[in-house]
Amino acid sequence: MSRKPEDIVSAAVVKHGSGREAVMGILTDVNRELGYIPEEAIKAAAKAVDVSNAEIYSVLSFYSFFSTEPRGRNIVRLCNTISCEMNGSSDILDAIEKELDIKTGETTADGRITLETTSCIGLCDESPAMLINDTPHTRLTPEEACKILAGLE
Amino acid sequence: MPNVSVTINGVTTSVREGVTILDSCKTAGVEIPTLCYHPDLSLAGNCRMCLVEVEGWKTLAIACVTPVTPNMVINTHSKKVRHARRTVLKLLLAAHNVNCPECERNKNCELQELAEKHNITFNEYQTSPKPSSIEEVSPGIMRDNSRCIMCTRCVRTCEELQSVAVIRPVGRSASVNISTFMDLGLNNVPCTQCGQCINRCPTGALFETSEIRQVWEAIEDPEKFVVVQTAPAIRVGIAEALGLPTDRTTGKMVAAIRGLGFDRVLDTDFTADLTIIEEGHELISRLKKVLVDGDTDTALPMTTSCSPGWIKFIEHKYPDLLPNVSSCKSPQQMFGALSKTYLAGKEGVDPSKVICVSIMPCTAKKYEKERPEMRDSGYKDVDYVLTTRELASMIQEAGIDFDNLHDEKYDRWMGDSTGAAVIFGATGGVMEAALRTAYEIVTGQEIPFEGLNIIPVRGMEGIKDAAITMPDKMASGFEFLAGVTLKVAVVHGLANTRKLMDKVRAGEVDYHFIEIMACPGGCLGGGGQPIPTNPTVRKKRSDAIYEEDAVLHFRKSHANPEIQLLYAEFLKEPLGHKSHELLHTHYTKRD
Amino acid sequence: MSEKRILTAAEQPEAGAALKKSLEMTKADVVFEVRESNMRGRGGAGFPTGVKWNLAGAASGANKMVICNADEGEPGTFKDKLLLEKYASKLLEGMTIGGYAIGSSQGIIYLRAEYPYLVPGIMKVREELISKNFLGEGILGTDFSFDVEIRMGAGAYVCGEETSLIESLEGKRGEPRNKPPFPVNSGYLSRPTIVNNVETFVSVPYIILNGSEWYQDLGIGSCTGTKLFSISGDVENPGVYEFQMGSTIGELLEVAGVKDVQAVQVGGASGTTISAGELDRKLSFEDLPPGGSVIVFNSSRNMMDVLENFLEFFVHESCGQCAPCREGNVRLLDTARAIRGGKITSREELKPFFMLAEVMKLGSKCGLGQTSPNCFVDIITKFIDFPDGKGGM
Ligand SMILES: Cc1cc2nc3c(=O)[nH]c(=O)nc-3n(C[C@H](O)[C@H](O)[C@H](O)COP(=O)(O)O)c2cc1C
Ligand code: SF4
Ligand code: SF4
Ligand code: SF4
Ligand code: SF4
Ligand code: FES
Repeated sequence: MSRKPEDIVSAAVVKHGSGREAVMGILTDVNRELGYIPEEAIKAAAKAVDVSNAEIYSVLSFYSFFSTEPRGRNIVRLCNTISCEMNGSSDILDAIEKELDIKTGETTADGRITLETTSCIGLCDESPAMLINDTPHTRLTPEEACKILAGLE
Repeated sequence: MPNVSVTINGVTTSVREGVTILDSCKTAGVEIPTLCYHPDLSLAGNCRMCLVEVEGWKTLAIACVTPVTPNMVINTHSKKVRHARRTVLKLLLAAHNVNCPECERNKNCELQELAEKHNITFNEYQTSPKPSSIEEVSPGIMRDNSRCIMCTRCVRTCEELQSVAVIRPVGRSASVNISTFMDLGLNNVPCTQCGQCINRCPTGALFETSEIRQVWEAIEDPEKFVVVQTAPAIRVGIAEALGLPTDRTTGKMVAAIRGLGFDRVLDTDFTADLTIIEEGHELISRLKKVLVDGDTDTALPMTTSCSPGWIKFIEHKYPDLLPNVSSCKSPQQMFGALSKTYLAGKEGVDPSKVICVSIMPCTAKKYEKERPEMRDSGYKDVDYVLTTRELASMIQEAGIDFDNLHDEKYDRWMGDSTGAAVIFGATGGVMEAALRTAYEIVTGQEIPFEGLNIIPVRGMEGIKDAAITMPDKMASGFEFLAGVTLKVAVVHGLANTRKLMDKVRAGEVDYHFIEIMACPGGCLGGGGQPIPTNPTVRKKRSDAIYEEDAVLHFRKSHANPEIQLLYAEFLKEPLGHKSHELLHTHYTKRD
Repeated sequence: MSEKRILTAAEQPEAGAALKKSLEMTKADVVFEVRESNMRGRGGAGFPTGVKWNLAGAASGANKMVICNADEGEPGTFKDKLLLEKYASKLLEGMTIGGYAIGSSQGIIYLRAEYPYLVPGIMKVREELISKNFLGEGILGTDFSFDVEIRMGAGAYVCGEETSLIESLEGKRGEPRNKPPFPVNSGYLSRPTIVNNVETFVSVPYIILNGSEWYQDLGIGSCTGTKLFSISGDVENPGVYEFQMGSTIGELLEVAGVKDVQAVQVGGASGTTISAGELDRKLSFEDLPPGGSVIVFNSSRNMMDVLENFLEFFVHESCGQCAPCREGNVRLLDTARAIRGGKITSREELKPFFMLAEVMKLGSKCGLGQTSPNCFVDIITKFIDFPDGKGGM
């Protein structure tokens, strides 16, 4: 059982404080635990730091890692910037989309995987590369990438 | 700050150190185009229209945000600057749904004006035309983001002037747009419908939800008895909305409206006076309950209730203080309720045939008339609300030559006005009107201010207050107020209101009565008033209002002859049974 | 000039040695030493670090802040990641010295969201330094206290711009601020703040230990010290290399193992695109602003692919606040696609877009919009042939 969004926010406020500068920390905590930031969490965060709901929504909409849409248990972020692109990341993307039968930005029907592309993740010397949740995977081939995804819970 | 010497386009002048390049150019009579800049708001520096060349700089300087430094050499129309300006302008236009003839802001649009001034007849950057997208609909406000240039003036208005902060940039890069929490739309978030954002939008991205079509249809329907009421602030706004100099033009306005084909032209001033009587008695009765009966349930300070933006604000933000709000309906809604009862009777028409249209300086009035509790006449009390701008547009459509009209008078029964009612249009006006009447009720004497002008509550300061000590000798029945010092406050703009209400909530102030207007300047600066708005414009409108007050025969609400008749024949007494039924209301806590 | 490993040398000076030496100096002397070293910030803009510290030290205001910019997001850059992974001890020491120098007791590392796996390692080093009294309360028996926390970004390249980074730390959208005021006077929560790159802070202990003269002898002219380069693309041995400032791009490529060169992108997507004929250009602020990234393209690469990829990056990463950058990058991308699609076939038709590029450089609010057109101008000018000549103006 996962915690309620409001409870995650309360715990985050204990950790990061209730000043305006705590917002990124609070949102990050919610986003990591639930994979996304639900409406109730935005309201709770807005209340905790005393700004409008619209303000928090505006802030989170700025950052690629935050989402208000429920996402899969695993978030795959495949780099599509130049060095990875030169080493075949678009082939990998095609292979993954086919394998999972979803498009970039979508989540598998079983809620297992959300597929996203990302700007450079600093793994250019080991490209092509992707992050799965917090873990980097490098020197991918289409087959390799699909195999890694198959192993995800 | 000491003065520094700067050179603008080759001319050396002396300006205060620290002022912006824009301001110093203004002082020097040099015009610089701007879009995101607005004198009421903080500086954003995001449109990049105001760029100028500063000698020694690698990049161009942004005039609106860059302070001058000693011996700065500024050029505002070098080749570089002109090219850059045109390019920025073209970029904005390229991302814009340019369709001026079908735009609410045609001929009153800052983007259009700049395009014209810069002779933009061809745009290399225009790739594909942007389709129109009406993205938000609410009773008062509409938004079409295809006309938005992301200047954030609306965002800053909502946050800085109104402390409401329901609109913010959402997303980033080219997909950024102005939106609400979870993109729910203005109707589903705590927007007060004040329309201040509309007044500061440089383009047609924000506009009122129009009811012009419905009003024409009502006028054209021979079955309907269409009565119109004009709010106090319209008479100083309509000329401006028609492109004429700001002036009070009550007589012409009445003539023009009659010319549109309304059956009766009446005055919200009439119910403004009525509000004063009802609200004045409510205040006295609250004071009595507290001072004489020691009642702890009666809430003080009492606040006014005529500004629907303020009502929506308190319902969202300070629901615990709702008992402090006067139960009086706003003058518009009092008028609506009476138009379908009292007036219908006087005119001998079937109330179901009466259509009540109000001309308001306000977009929140469009929301107010939709409130479910505003049906005490047995019908929807007010059917349609037009803003000052919409009225101007109808006058133009009808081809009426406003400037050459002869003055006409309001129709009878609900057409009499007093100076007290006229000043409802300015911040401090309700308070002044209330004091003129309430003081006289309780003391039997005129309020002791030179010419009845209660100067301390006038003017554009955000929060004003005054104290008036009652004489020892009071009118009979009001002896309990003898020697009491009545403390009042006046506030306009919701950001100022929030400051004051926080103090009220914390028990830090001991006012008895507070006038609250949602819009900066009061109704004269309302969200339905002519665009643009700025301190200079508001000052002019305010001057016109106080001039009108000074020349009117009756200056006190209780002196209004038609009001006296209304009480004698219909209402019987202030706060009486009929009043409670038709003129008072209740409020709702909102999320 | 040549490869020279100092920051990444196998033999590292003892942890805390430079801090110890600094605390024996006056604050002014520490700032002086950094200033004399002539080191310029390693985050891209190349502002002299000592000058920045001096301004922040002199600024009035309580609770001064030391912020490390670890948002490394420039395409092709991963040198800060290496430092954070292997040399965090030197980073924290450099930040602590910075804190001492400007009179601050609070440091923040703004770490990009893409590097969460680095956090445990950095925190472990922090614990070690605290246990040795190199960090924390009353450092080395003095009354100087300093501590560092890590705050995470959330995926926005523009947050590497220092005022955008500060906005983000304050819990806001990462939209760059108008300057002035500069962070040294009014930064995080309006406090005087220094923002420096990871590599900048890591270099500080070496300057303190070895002296500014030693540092000046590394590099050429006013470009002193060594510099890390992340090399990727068509090279045999991609990775991080440390070279003296003023080395040529050719020297770099030789060490990394490059045979076939069509073009090299220096300084990331916002940097400079050079052709094979320019390999003797020097990596220095005067010639080729070094940044941290070198990407090599061999002759099989279509440079228009590269351009499109870069512009897609900028269209995605612009904060969208100011008109030239928000709208301009979209138009440049449209134009690049139009060239590829054969809709633009002459230099003449490109004129307005070179004008646009110029206006973006001159009129954008921050470095992103001011540099994003570089690749458009460079690649079209140097690599694209039109019937009426090469692409430039
Ligand atoms: C779009 C943009 C992105 C930037 N990204 C980074 C970055 O990832 N890391 C960094 O240290 N500096 C980055 N900078 C430069 C910073 O604004 C700032 O100049 C730098 O952190 C100052 O540190 P330094 O003087 O030590 O280089 C970026 C600038 C811009 C305009
Ligand atoms: S917003 Fe202005 S420029 Fe745009 S369509 Fe309307 S009038 Fe024309
Ligand atoms: S109408 Fe008023 S409250 Fe609503 S968005 Fe506009 S400024 Fe804000
Ligand atoms: S809606 Fe109007 S005021 Fe608001 S950002 Fe758009 S153009 Fe500016
Ligand atoms: S140049 Fe681009 S990233 Fe920088 S402020 Fe403007 S829109 Fe934002
Ligand atoms: S008016 Fe100066 S940037 Fe918009």
